[in-house]
Amino acid sequence: MPLLNRLALNLTTLVAVVLAGGFIAAALVRYSPGFDSIPEDLNTALSPQTLAALHAKRNRENSLPRFYVRYLAGASRGDFGVSQSLGQPVATLLRQRAPVTARLVLWGVAGGCLLAAFLAWLAVWTRGAALSVSVSGLLLAIPPAVLGLAFFFYQAPLGLALSLGLLPRLFGTLRAIFEDCYASPALLAARTRGVGALGIATRYVLGAAASKLAALLGIAAVLAFGLAIPIEALCGVPGIGALTIQAATARDMPLLCALALAVTFLVTLVHTAGEIAIGDST
Amino acid sequence: MKAAAIAVLVIVALAGLLAPAIAPYDYSRQFRETPNAAASSQFPMGTDDLGRDRFSRLVYATRVSVLLAPAAALVSILIALLFSAITATRSRWADRGLGALTTLSLSLPWIFLFIILRAVLPLNTRAIQSILITFGLMGVAGWAWPARVFTASVRQMKQSGWLMQARAAGMSRWRIARVHAWPHLRALAVAQFRILIPAYILSEASLGLLGLGVAEPLPSWGNLLAELQHPDRVRANLWVLAPLGLLMLVMIALEALQPRAAPGQLS
Repeated sequence: MPLLNRLALNLTTLVAVVLAGGFIAAALVRYSPGFDSIPEDLNTALSPQTLAALHAKRNRENSLPRFYVRYLAGASRGDFGVSQSLGQPVATLLRQRAPVTARLVLWGVAGGCLLAAFLAWLAVWTRGAALSVSVSGLLLAIPPAVLGLAFFFYQAPLGLALSLGLLPRLFGTLRAIFEDCYASPALLAARTRGVGALGIATRYVLGAAASKLAALLGIAAVLAFGLAIPIEALCGVPGIGALTIQAATARDMPLLCALALAVTFLVTLVHTAGEIAIGDST
Repeated sequence: MKAAAIAVLVIVALAGLLAPAIAPYDYSRQFRETPNAAASSQFPMGTDDLGRDRFSRLVYATRVSVLLAPAAALVSILIALLFSAITATRSRWADRGLGALTTLSLSLPWIFLFIILRAVLPLNTRAIQSILITFGLMGVAGWAWPARVFTASVRQMKQSGWLMQARAAGMSRWRIARVHAWPHLRALAVAQFRILIPAYILSEASLGLLGLGVAEPLPSWGNLLAELQHPDRVRANLWVLAPLGLLMLVMIALEALQPRAAPGQLS
């Protein structure tokens, strides 16, 4: 498929997914407990008929389609409403917390990718996969949140805990990518020509698999965000993950929905970029 | 290696099934005069801060975590199979619609999706309700990965020569599905089922640590792991680490029996 068509298709998918995500978010807010209550409910002077009329008016004004359009219009201006539990504008909360999570995820992804790549290279290059597979299997058996707690109590960097949680989730894919590269005829020919290990790694492995690795980086970022949620919540890191748990336990629907919308947008964007990167290589 | 892994899993599953016979006490029975007791002949792993026998709670927790994760995995597989059947038999629009739904589900990190769904449901529930909500939601929220795998396989089948031949021979849709398609999908379904079980065990553990999983007083590996948030208790009694040890043992055993997972699937 030509590049422009593929870009258009991916962008259409991105917009459709974000709109659908926004609709679900709006529906959750609209039908959340307490949304239909109005301040006049507490006014004992009003008759039941008056209250019923006020409720009917509010329901008409807040039918799901109207509410959705208003919600999207607000979201497009960066206005996601006000958090019910924290009493602050949701946009402000997102602006304050996002850099903390971004930093943690960045360190986690960088460390996780490097460690997983090293283990995968060890497994493929030395043909002795036992050590790599054992390390990866052992790390996969530990809940990332427990790793986070252990690092927290020993005052070690949480980014490293995230890296170790991410490592086994990337190891298998990286190993498969490296196996493909190392089995290629071009690499075999280079070996017979006496090209050194560094040359092979940079020209015939990293060069050949660059687009796949770029796509994997996107997946790694999404995985790291998922792993960061419990780590942040348990270790008191004031990021998006901790905010999500706070919103969930307080049933703070405006905050939760804004988070869902923002995360859906970012994750779909990352996936789309990955798909375009892979498409370019084929 | 595989024989050892199977043996471990059989022993752990049997311990879970026979929990009432193995555990010396009920999981919720409190010995109020001996909270935080050390390991002894009366309490093989000591007691927790409410005076409950750790060993009994671990045995009952095994039943909850190990036996319900496959049930949740089965729910995911059944939903995914239903969606792939719709993809196979209905219009192109249904196919596209379900494809978009799958993309939307896969666009969110699994735990994030679960937290959103969990927030919509009541948080203060009885223990049994919390089990159904936790594992039910896992089953419902985890359908997208197997659905993508099944749908891809169904699409491949729809273009295969043997299917055209079967159609040309006048075979009914039901017979094609039963005789030709199901044997292909069955192998995929078993592989996906095996991938989902450890993912759900691990997810329950993470959710339990966050207080969003199975509710007290019913024990699960997740809510037993919540004690790890108190390092003083770990230092005082190393048996607090027993649920983590058992969880790791089961995960390693399951890992030894795994087909290779797709990237990102064990998230």
